[in-house]
Amino acid sequence: MLELIPNQLGFPLLSLMIFVPLAGAVILLAVRDARAARWIALLFSIAEIGLSVPLLANFDGSIAHMQFGESLPWIKDWHINYRIGVDGISVLFVGLTALLTTISIMVSWTAIQDRVREFMIAVLFLEAGMIGVFVALDLFLFYIFWEAMLIPMYLLIGVWGGPNRLYAAIKFFLYTLVGSVLMLVAILAVYFSAGGTFDVLALMNHPFGHTFQMWAFAAFFAAFAVKVPMFPFHTWLPDAHVEAPTAGSIILAGILIKMGAYGFLRFSLPFFPSAAISWTPAIMTLSVVAIIYGAYMAFAQTDFKKLIAYSSVSHMGFVTLGIFALNSQGVEGGLLQMINHGVSTGALFLAVGVIYERTHTRMIADYGGIAAKVPVYAAYLLIITLSSIGLPGTNGFVGEFTILLGAFQYKAVYAVIASLGIILGAGYMLWLYQRVAFGTVTNPHNEHLQDMNLREIAAALPLLVLVFGVGLYPNAAFQVMHASTENLIKHVQAKAALAPVAAQAANALLGQ
Amino acid sequence: MLTSVQEILKQLVPIYPEFVLIAFALSVLVVDMFLNGRYTHLLGWYSLIGIVIAASMTIILGGVQGAFFSGTVLLDPFSQFFKLVFYLACGLGILIAMKYLDIEDIHRGEYYALMLFATAGMMLMASAGDLITIYLGLELMALSIYVLAGFMRKDSRSNEAGIKYLLLGAFSSGIMLYGMSLLYGLAGTTNLDGILAFLRTADLKNPVLFLSMVMLMVSFGFKVAAVPFHMWVPDVYEGAPTSVTAFMSAGPKVAGFAVLLRVFTHTLDPLHADISLLLSGLAVLTMAVGNVMALSQTNIKRMLAYSSIAHAGYALVGVAAGGQEGAASVMLYVLIYAVMNMGAFGVVIMLRKAGMRGEEISDFAGLGKTNKTAAFLMLIFLFSLTGIPPMAGFVGKFYIFKSAVQAGMIWLAIVGVLFSAISAYFYLRVIMLMYMYDPKEEFGLVQSPALALALAISVTAVIVIGVYPTPVLEFARASVAGLL
Amino acid sequence: MIPLSWYVLLSAALFTIGVVGVLTRRNVFIILMSIELMLNAANINLVAFSHYLQNLTGQIFVIFVITVAAAEAAVALALIILLARNRGTVYVDEFNIMKG
Repeated sequence: MLELIPNQLGFPLLSLMIFVPLAGAVILLAVRDARAARWIALLFSIAEIGLSVPLLANFDGSIAHMQFGESLPWIKDWHINYRIGVDGISVLFVGLTALLTTISIMVSWTAIQDRVREFMIAVLFLEAGMIGVFVALDLFLFYIFWEAMLIPMYLLIGVWGGPNRLYAAIKFFLYTLVGSVLMLVAILAVYFSAGGTFDVLALMNHPFGHTFQMWAFAAFFAAFAVKVPMFPFHTWLPDAHVEAPTAGSIILAGILIKMGAYGFLRFSLPFFPSAAISWTPAIMTLSVVAIIYGAYMAFAQTDFKKLIAYSSVSHMGFVTLGIFALNSQGVEGGLLQMINHGVSTGALFLAVGVIYERTHTRMIADYGGIAAKVPVYAAYLLIITLSSIGLPGTNGFVGEFTILLGAFQYKAVYAVIASLGIILGAGYMLWLYQRVAFGTVTNPHNEHLQDMNLREIAAALPLLVLVFGVGLYPNAAFQVMHASTENLIKHVQAKAALAPVAAQAANALLGQ
Repeated sequence: MLTSVQEILKQLVPIYPEFVLIAFALSVLVVDMFLNGRYTHLLGWYSLIGIVIAASMTIILGGVQGAFFSGTVLLDPFSQFFKLVFYLACGLGILIAMKYLDIEDIHRGEYYALMLFATAGMMLMASAGDLITIYLGLELMALSIYVLAGFMRKDSRSNEAGIKYLLLGAFSSGIMLYGMSLLYGLAGTTNLDGILAFLRTADLKNPVLFLSMVMLMVSFGFKVAAVPFHMWVPDVYEGAPTSVTAFMSAGPKVAGFAVLLRVFTHTLDPLHADISLLLSGLAVLTMAVGNVMALSQTNIKRMLAYSSIAHAGYALVGVAAGGQEGAASVMLYVLIYAVMNMGAFGVVIMLRKAGMRGEEISDFAGLGKTNKTAAFLMLIFLFSLTGIPPMAGFVGKFYIFKSAVQAGMIWLAIVGVLFSAISAYFYLRVIMLMYMYDPKEEFGLVQSPALALALAISVTAVIVIGVYPTPVLEFARASVAGLL
Repeated sequence: MIPLSWYVLLSAALFTIGVVGVLTRRNVFIILMSIELMLNAANINLVAFSHYLQNLTGQIFVIFVITVAAAEAAVALALIILLARNRGTVYVDEFNIMKG
C-alpha cells in the first residue's frame, strides 16, 4: 500500500515547480518588450531546472511511496484536496519537462518573431500544466491540469504553426477533448463507486467490481489512447507535429504524448487491474500494429517532420507494448523508453527546427548533401538518428531491449513482430539521414548554409549528454524507478486476483 | 394614521428589496421626464445604486425566513441566492448598456426603469410561494423585456424581435395558465405547499394531473429556451439590442430555472419519476439542437443564442437529476453561466461602432492583434463556455454531470460531455479568428469605464470561481436546503 | 344548476381553438386574439373551479389575469404599430429579416 510521505524539505518543492512557471507567465503579462520577454521566460524555465535538482537529489529510489507530498483541503464539499507527490514513475518526467521546456524556449529565440510575449506565456503556462499532471495525486486536480494544458498547446499550434495550422490545431483539440470528457464521466463513476473520494492512493486500494472495471478502463483508455496516440487514434499527431512550431513539436513529442502512457501506469493499471488483464491482448495487438504501421508510414514520408511524427507512433507502440506486458521488464523498459523517446525525438525536432529556420522547407528532397556544409549539424543529427534507431551505447537500445524482454515473457510472437519494427526503424532513419546529409549538394540554396550556432549547440548539448548517459549507465534511471514499478506489478497482480472475489461478493449482496 | 402607515411598512419588510427596485424604477421614469433626454448616464448609475441598496437589503434579510402575505411570498436561502444572481445580471446588464445605448442612439431613461422592473419580476418569481405570484412575477419580467427587445424603435429587426418574443411569450403564458388552472381545480389551492400536501395523498395516475404538469413544463421550457420550445431564441437574440440580448440570456433564463426548480423539485416532487424522464429527454434534445445548430452560424449573437440553448440543456440535466445535489448544481451552473455569458456579450458590444455592426463572427478576425486585452478576455470567456479548466465553466459543468452520475444517469452524463466536446468547435472558431487571422481593417474598439468595470467583474468571477469554487459552492449547497 | 364538466369542456374547447389559431393564422391581430382565447379559457376554468370548490382564490387569480392580459395587449399593439410603420405589414410570415 502506497503512502504519501510529507515533504521533508523546508519549502514546498513541488508546489513551487507548478507555480514558478505560472508566476513567470503572470509577470510576462506586464512586459511589452520582446527581448525582455525572451529573457524572463528563459530565466523562469532555468529556475525550474534549478528546482528539479533538489527534487532528483533528494528522491529516495529505494521506496515505492509517494514523496515530497503536500496535501491541502481545496473543495471540501466534494472531498477534493490539493494533493501532490512524486514516485519513481513520475519523478523523471518532472525533470524532463523542466529540461525540454528550457530547450524549447532556447530554440524559439529567433524562430519566433511574432507576438513573442504571448508565445512565452503559453509555453510557461503549458509547463505548469505538464508538471501538474505528473505530480497530481487527486483525480480532480489531475483532470484540471490535463485539460488546462490543451489551451496553450492549441494556441501554440494555431497561432505560431505552419500554413495548415488551423486544421491541425482544432483536430488536436477536439480529439483530445472527446477522449478526456469520457474519462471525466468515468472519474465521476469511480468517485461514487469508491464512496466519494478523488484520492488516487485510496482509489488504488479500492476493490472495484470486474464489470465496472471493464467500463471504467475503457473510458480512461479513450483519454489516454488518444494522447499516446495508439494506433487507430493517432491521426491527429502527424498533423499537429507538422504544423506546430519547433518548440511545440518538442514539447508535444517529448512530454505531452507521454502523458497517455503515464496515465496507464498511474491510473488505469492500479485502479482497474483485472480489466487491464482482460484488455491486454487487444492492447498488445494494437501496440504491435502501431509499431509496424508507424514504421511503414514513416518510409513513405517526404516531409521531415511527418516522418518523425510517424516514427513517434511506432516508438510509442513499443512503450504500450512494454507497459501491458505487465511484468517488471516490460514496465520498466516502457517507462525508460518514454524518457528516451522524449530525449531523442525532442532532439530530432530540434534538428528539424534548426534546419527549417535556415531553409524554410521541411521537404527531405530539398536538403541532400548538407553534411559537407554543416559538419556540426550533421554530426549532431547522426548521433540522434542512431539513438532513435536504438544503437547499443545509446539510450534507445536499453529501452527497446528491455521492452522486448518483457514482451517475450508475455508472448514471444509480439516480441518477434516488434523486433521487425526495430529493423524497419533502422531502415527509415538511416535512409532519412542518407537523403539529408550525404551525397552532393543538390539544392543551390544550401550552398551557403550556416552551421549550428552557440545557442543551438547549448540547447542540444544536454540532450546529447542524456543520450549517452542513459545508454552507458541505464542503472541510474532504473534505480529511480525500480521500487515503484515492482510495487505496481505486485499491486496489479494482487488486486487482479482479488477482483473476481469482490465481484462475487457484490453479486451475492445484490442477489439477497 | 401614522401608526397604520408604520404598520404597513412593517408588514412590507419581506419585499423591501423588490419595493426599492420598483421605487427606483418609478423615480427614474419621473426624473427622466424632467431631464428630457440629458444626463441619461447618471440615470444608469442611479439605477445601479438602487441595485446595490436592494442587494444589501436582501443580504440583511438573509436571516429572515418564512412565508409572508398568506404564503404567496417566500423568503428562504433559495430565493436569496437567485436574487443575488439577478442583481448581478441586472448590474452587469446596465454597465455594458450605457455606452452601447449612446451608439445606437436609443439612450433613454426608460431603459433602466424597464431593467429594474424586469429584475423585480424575476425576484418575485424566485420568491413565489403561490401560482399567482409565479404568474405575476413572470409577466412583470416578460412585459418589461418585450419592450426592451423592441427598444430600437426605428430598427425593424428590433421590432421583429420584440413582437416575436411577445407572441411566443404570451402563447406560453396561456399554456402555463391553463396548466395552473387545472392544477388549481385538482388541488383546490394555488399555494405551492398546499399543492405538495395534496399530491402526497393524491392519485398520481390521474391523467389531468399529468396534463397540467406537462403544460407547466412546456411553458417553463419556453422561458428557459429548451428544445423544442426554442424557435424564438435565435431571432429574438439577434434582433434585440445587444445589451438586452446579454441581459435576456442571463436574467430571464435564470429566473426560469428558479421557477422550474421550485415547481418541479419541490411542489411536484411526488411526480419525480415522470418529470425526470421527460426532462432528461428535453435535456438531450436541447443540448443536441443547441450545439449542432451553433456550428453553422455566422452571426455572433445567433451563435451565442444557440449556445445559450445548449447551456439550458446542461442545466436541465441537473434538474432531471433532481434531489439536493441536482438542484444545487443547477444553481451553481446558472450563476456561472450568467457571469461568463454577460462577459462574452460585453466583448461583443465593444465591436459595435457607428458604421459597423460588429455582429458577424468574421468581424472578430485579427482582434488578437488589434486589441489584445479584449481578445484575451474573450478567450477566457469562450474557454469558460466550453468548460475547460481552470475557468468557472468547467466547475459548473462538472457539478452538473456529477449530480447526474450520482442520480444514476450515467448515460445522460455521457451524452452531455460529448455534446460539450462538440461545442468546443464553434467557440474555438471565434478564438481562431481572433488569434490566427489577420485583421481585415484597422479599427479601434468602443471603450468606456462602465464596460471596463463590467468586464473586470465578470473575468474576475470566472477565474476565481474556476480556481477556488469552495465559497460559491458552499453557498449554493446551503441555499438549496430550504427547497426540499 | 350547470354541472362543472360543462364549464371544463367549454374551456377546453376555447383553449384548443386558441392554440390552433396561434399556430395557423398569419395575421398578428388574429394571433393576439387567439392568445386571448387561451387566457380566457384558463379564466373560465379558474372561475368554475372556484365556484365548485367554494374557494375564492381562483377568482382572485382571474382578476390578475385580466389585468395582465390588458397590459400585454397594450405592449403588443404598440409593437405592432411600430412594425406596421416600419415594414408595412401585419402578417407574421413576412417578419423574416432574420433566418438561420
